[in-house]
Amino acid sequence: MKNEHITAYALGELQGPQREDFERALAASPELQSTLASTAALCDAIPGAAEEDLGSRRRASLLADCRRNIAAGERRRKVAKIVFASSLTALAACLLIAPMLPWTTLHRGAPPDAGSGGRSSGFLVQAPPAPRHPLAENLPGSSASVAWADEAGAVPPAMSRVSPDDRSDVDAKRIIDQVAAQPSSSLVTMAGSLAPAPQLGPPASREEAVALATSAPLLADKDAARPVRQFSSGWSSPDARPADSLARSSRGGFNTEAYDAVEENRFLEAQENPLSTFSIDVDTASYANVRRFLNDGQLPPKGAIRVEEMLNYFPYDYPQPDAGRPFSANVESARAPWNPEHELVRIGIQGRRLDPDSRPPASLVFLIDVSGSMRPENKLPLLKRSLAALAENLGADDRIAIAVYAGAAGLVLPPTSGSDKQTILSALARLDAGGSTNGAEGIRLAYQAARDQFLKNGTNRVILCTDGDFNVGTTSQSSLVELIESERSSGIFLSVLGFGRGNLKDSTMEKLADKGNGNYAYIDSLAEGRKVLVDEVGGTLFTIAKDVKIQVEFNPARVAAYRLIGYENRLLAKEDFNDDRKDAGEIGAGHSVTALYEIVPAGSSLPGRPPVDPLKYQPAPAAAASPSQDLLTLKLRYKEPAGSTSKLIEFPVRDAGATPFAEASTDFQFAATVAAFGMKLRGSPGADPIPWKDLLSTARRNLGEDPGSHRAEFLTLIEKAARLPQPSPAED
Amino acid sequence: MSPEHIIEEALARYERPLISHAKAITGEIESARDAVQETFLRLSRQDVAALAPRLAPWLFHVCRNCALDHTRKLVRFPSGELDESAHASDAPSPADAAGAREETSLLQRLVADLTPREQELVRLKFEGGLSYKEISQTLRISVSNVGVQLHNAIQSLRSAWLRENAEIRP
Repeated sequence: MKNEHITAYALGELQGPQREDFERALAASPELQSTLASTAALCDAIPGAAEEDLGSRRRASLLADCRRNIAAGERRRKVAKIVFASSLTALAACLLIAPMLPWTTLHRGAPPDAGSGGRSSGFLVQAPPAPRHPLAENLPGSSASVAWADEAGAVPPAMSRVSPDDRSDVDAKRIIDQVAAQPSSSLVTMAGSLAPAPQLGPPASREEAVALATSAPLLADKDAARPVRQFSSGWSSPDARPADSLARSSRGGFNTEAYDAVEENRFLEAQENPLSTFSIDVDTASYANVRRFLNDGQLPPKGAIRVEEMLNYFPYDYPQPDAGRPFSANVESARAPWNPEHELVRIGIQGRRLDPDSRPPASLVFLIDVSGSMRPENKLPLLKRSLAALAENLGADDRIAIAVYAGAAGLVLPPTSGSDKQTILSALARLDAGGSTNGAEGIRLAYQAARDQFLKNGTNRVILCTDGDFNVGTTSQSSLVELIESERSSGIFLSVLGFGRGNLKDSTMEKLADKGNGNYAYIDSLAEGRKVLVDEVGGTLFTIAKDVKIQVEFNPARVAAYRLIGYENRLLAKEDFNDDRKDAGEIGAGHSVTALYEIVPAGSSLPGRPPVDPLKYQPAPAAAASPSQDLLTLKLRYKEPAGSTSKLIEFPVRDAGATPFAEASTDFQFAATVAAFGMKLRGSPGADPIPWKDLLSTARRNLGEDPGSHRAEFLTLIEKAARLPQPSPAED
Repeated sequence: MSPEHIIEEALARYERPLISHAKAITGEIESARDAVQETFLRLSRQDVAALAPRLAPWLFHVCRNCALDHTRKLVRFPSGELDESAHASDAPSPADAAGAREETSLLQRLVADLTPREQELVRLKFEGGLSYKEISQTLRISVSNVGVQLHNAIQSLRSAWLRENAEIRP
């Protein structure tokens, strides 16, 4: 019996076998009986009624406002239902008509007139959560996972265009997930599966093709991947801009913070560059850093603004993956808020959450910089408080050790069980800053401690905490990177926590964490320390999939050009996607990754780009005649934390037509606003600047549930940025 | 049950506990009322029926966020430019508070001596009437953690209470 069962029993919270155990112990112990009696008496005596209320006038007007909001919400849902019902009729019509038509009339080039209101050939289909075909259900591990997101404010349903000629697309190695539209939003979820893909022959009949379409995302092993045909070069951005000298000089004062220049991704023609490949990034440091600048009344230097890290700072309400799968993928599209001609496609990947009670044990070694520069209140003292908060949340199976480095390196806390809180806290209390830095010796010591307390079935991680003055002593930075990489292969990962200001070597720290399969977070307040070390302890410390790469193939028949927003320093060559030796980002438990593409639909011209003469020596591009109604295909590759061969998941995404921005989901609108904010701060070309007040009102409308109040805080940052001298537009 | 009914019932049941919950964060009644009002307005914009099964944790969590937002605004904009509560607060002066405290029951005083986290747990349990599970969803901590922390709070209250009673009746 545990002590806390006394209180739980008195409050009626103890059930099942625990209750029986407790009652047995109770019967045997008069002492326990008396404790229970006085506990129950106390619980009865604690005042249960709060006194203050809203006041009757305020309550009445609040209820009236609520009724208005509910009525408005119902009107929106009603519109959605009408569209839904009429498209069900269209679906029925399609199914009735289709078998009667000869296949030739359904093929491209002979546009069928059965579909009504479509932008081009194909039927408009609004599929309900369709019953699955028995065949699909019998496939091990490949059942469909279409999550029905129920966003506040009822987003009108999207129209998925389902082309009847998909029959030709179903080949031996593909199970097409005909992305069915949903009743309440255009959010589509597909969950990746770990099970190997069964080999399926082409469906025998059209009915079967339709049934298969509701089944699973494509699954394939590495070997089954389709060959890459394109030879055009993937990514290049020749117009490197002068880093951020402008922004830096405007901040005044002497500052030794270092940021790499960021060359923003440009629009690329889908015809010439159909593949976009990048590594995921769950870092969030850039947002905290930008916040720190704005709170200080300064515009952040452009190099410090990494839009993807700002996007990923916020939790989104993506559905959890099905059991046994590491993450779910969610795609949603709507018009871009800064340019209604363009579409914005959001790719959201949600890592599986771990129950805090059942997470695997962790072996953590903190390597703490205690050099003189760490003395200010927002560095070492803040770190100590954050670590004390973490220590409260460690279990008996967890191991923790603390190494420090400065003039000399040393182990201040040898490997200790997480249940021994007193030892941990007193070691923390003894930490004090002073001396200069010798990181090389410290990091060797930390890895040694990590090996000493290595947990075979747990997470093993070294966490470097520094303000970035990482002096590697006599060793060069490249040998440090080598050390980190070799430890990574033995299962010890490295994360980096950045502290303080004025001395931050942002780019070095991000690179170190990258090499060590870890993440990089910037901690500027106790709240942030809690967010990183306690609330997100699962995500920060427990990797559920590693080397996660994303490759998107755009359909040139649908997409004239596209631009990946952010992820500039995460781009990979298209060949790297299938190369398992190439390191990429990790995804931790509960982490989500969000990426946005801005798309110029086929038929529109590229902004500010003079046309190029047609090529003389190559046949006219054939892709424009591609019969596929896909907008794009999303491919994900990942390895399991201990694995070395990657798995591939593929999701074709239908062209859902352009949903107006205001009708997109709350999360979509909020993410787009964060991206627009980052781009505006950077003075990005391409996105027409949205006025600050519009950013603020869109963000405010889309706060959602806002766990942790991070979105509400974002509002204050917009307000602050609006009051500062405006950033100069970057030269294109 | 219609969304209106759900909201009316929720307001009837949780109005006071929510205000108390928010007031502990903002330290002041008017902003606590604002936070509760904002919470219900947000609720009315959500799909109320879908939230109904986990309504209590949702309300207390969102209310907590709203209250925190409020304190954040106060700290961040000392100029008062965006400060909505610059007008006179009806929080009692220290002298009044001392007088009032003498009138409150012994237990209220003892609860006030707990750590802020323990006070929050006691309020959620006793004023809000939330179950361990609902508290764990509200505060985003595990159920067993709720059990341990609440137990610590109750047992330190109990020993203080027994001590006080012993002093009164020696």
